[in-house]
Amino acid sequence: MPALLEIENLQVEFDTWDGRVRVLDGVSLSVDAGQTLGIVGESGCGKSMTALAIMGLVPRPAGHITGGSIRFRGEDLLKVPEARLRELRGDRIAMIFQEPMTSLNPVFTVGDQIAETARLHLGLSAADARKRAIEMLKAVHIPSAERRVDEYPHQFSGGMRQRVMIAMALACEPEVLIADEPTTALDVTVQAQIFDLLQELRDTRGTAIVLITHDMGAIAEMADRVVVMYAGRKVEEGSVEAILGQPSHPYTRGLLACRPQLQLGRAKRKALQEIPGVVPPLHLLGRGCAFADRCPQMMPRCKEAYPPETQAGASHVASCWLLPPPGEAA
Amino acid sequence: MSEPLLEVDNLQVHFPLRRHSMFAAPQTVRAVDGVSFSVARGRTFGIVGESGSGKTTTALAVMRLIELTAGEIRLAGQPFSTLQGEALRSARHKVQMIFQDPYSSLNPRMRAGAIVREPMQRMNVGSEDERRERGRALFEQVGLRPDQMDLFPHQFSGGQRQRIGIARALATKPELVVCDEPVSALDVAIQAQILNLLGALQKQVGLTYLFISHDLGVVQYLCDEVAVMYLGQVVEYSTREALFEDPLHPYTWALLSAVPRIGNRRKGAAGRIRLEGDPPSPINPPPGCRFSARCPFAEARCRTEAPALREVRPGQRVACHLVREDGSTPHRPAAL
Repeated sequence: MPALLEIENLQVEFDTWDGRVRVLDGVSLSVDAGQTLGIVGESGCGKSMTALAIMGLVPRPAGHITGGSIRFRGEDLLKVPEARLRELRGDRIAMIFQEPMTSLNPVFTVGDQIAETARLHLGLSAADARKRAIEMLKAVHIPSAERRVDEYPHQFSGGMRQRVMIAMALACEPEVLIADEPTTALDVTVQAQIFDLLQELRDTRGTAIVLITHDMGAIAEMADRVVVMYAGRKVEEGSVEAILGQPSHPYTRGLLACRPQLQLGRAKRKALQEIPGVVPPLHLLGRGCAFADRCPQMMPRCKEAYPPETQAGASHVASCWLLPPPGEAA
Repeated sequence: MSEPLLEVDNLQVHFPLRRHSMFAAPQTVRAVDGVSFSVARGRTFGIVGESGSGKTTTALAVMRLIELTAGEIRLAGQPFSTLQGEALRSARHKVQMIFQDPYSSLNPRMRAGAIVREPMQRMNVGSEDERRERGRALFEQVGLRPDQMDLFPHQFSGGQRQRIGIARALATKPELVVCDEPVSALDVAIQAQILNLLGALQKQVGLTYLFISHDLGVVQYLCDEVAVMYLGQVVEYSTREALFEDPLHPYTWALLSAVPRIGNRRKGAAGRIRLEGDPPSPINPPPGCRFSARCPFAEARCRTEAPALREVRPGQRVACHLVREDGSTPHRPAAL
């Protein structure tokens, strides 16, 4: 049975002053109902672009999807007419954006904004849509929802606004929820509340969640499967246990070691491993592995050709020359 | 323990609010309300807390960038909070600051070298040639190439800009460097580069850091002593070891249990402290413990009587009625 949402070999290019740049190169991933897929990587790795491509929101005219497919329940979203996409977007597939401060319209009440989705997609009357909005605010645990439904975004704190965003995304009970760094602007205790809420949705409604983050801690807590992206490509994919326990790509290992992880109890201070340098500009990528210049285990062949996707374990793949290539089993 | 370099005594910073009408009662934001701590020379003192806890206001007060409502700040035993005019100006070279946002804290119209030299010019340190030479040395010290001194800020990456900010902070050979969330605006992979640089510089130059952060992992990595702030007050004040091994305050538990950790797969909220809602407003805060409204263990007395910060064990202070005299805590969740 095909997965609920399946991306295959997605290619996205952008026209820039430096010529045409490939921002996504052969990205494949899938997510099933009741599952959380984590996408992790630094800024500029293509995480958000992947999300925008799923939503059909790749900026035009600069951006072009030049290849691949995005299938939702078998239907290729890249081939369907815009009207069909509008039907699905916000209804079956919804997205929570990174900035709760700027993604809400300041001149409409939060109730109106949640109700709009319900009116458009579910065909509810204004009164029913308002009821639905109150119901959704309650579902995301906003106290005194009946009163707050008529308030404006500026009357909500950052955490509350993010909940409003989630309420809006959930108004039509989507099957796929894409959360693009939903907690980066929030305090840790509020982040924990939002994560609890997402977890609850996944478990009670079977919503498939695509969680985009740069924080391996968040991945550890939330994700079932993990896709690690670097410079527009998927460099490693596996179950969360495999990615955290036996990371196969040096970039994944770097991401795991470069952040001071909170340790409770008696803990020794461990030296922090840095990943030297920065993500290379995409128009300067050569033939080889894009991570080669920052990689502590770089070999001559890394500069010559891009490593093929190689099995690193049961349903665990990575693109790195350190792995024995297929056919030459180790 | 060496002598304290920075001593902060009962610091208060209040901001009056504009009244809505002439009959309304005057309102005050008590951003920092009675904070005391001391930082030993050559050590790193961390202040953690969520937004609105008053940690940045404390830092700005230590820098003398905002007016103190009450309290005293001493630097190497000398009064610092009472200095005015020329005396303050000449004492300022001893305290410098690294800012959170490397994009907005560098003048886009100045070349990187000039940015680093500016504090020396302002404080008349050395001759023009000496300043140029020191700028070059600083660039190398923070891991930039001296030929990059002629570039403008937009030609640098985020991590490199933060290195320029660090070089600028070190230009006047300060004793105390206040770091206000120096890595939170940077990409994950770059954070380690800057944290390691701060650690190396401390060893080389013998710097003392006042380190403001909301990231407990970073604080555990870098700090020797830590104060946890909530709504303008210190609720727990411990050595690093004690804070992470044996945290005492329910708010500290909540902070610690909220941090996502590798090797800690979510198995529901069991054994964790989950806070509901957001911190209350620091405008005319309620009597009693300021955390009592969100504290899952609050008792009647917590809502009426403010707990004092008291030492329950050597190097461990806490402001909570529920912690017993011997430092035992009846409610502490097993997961911590």
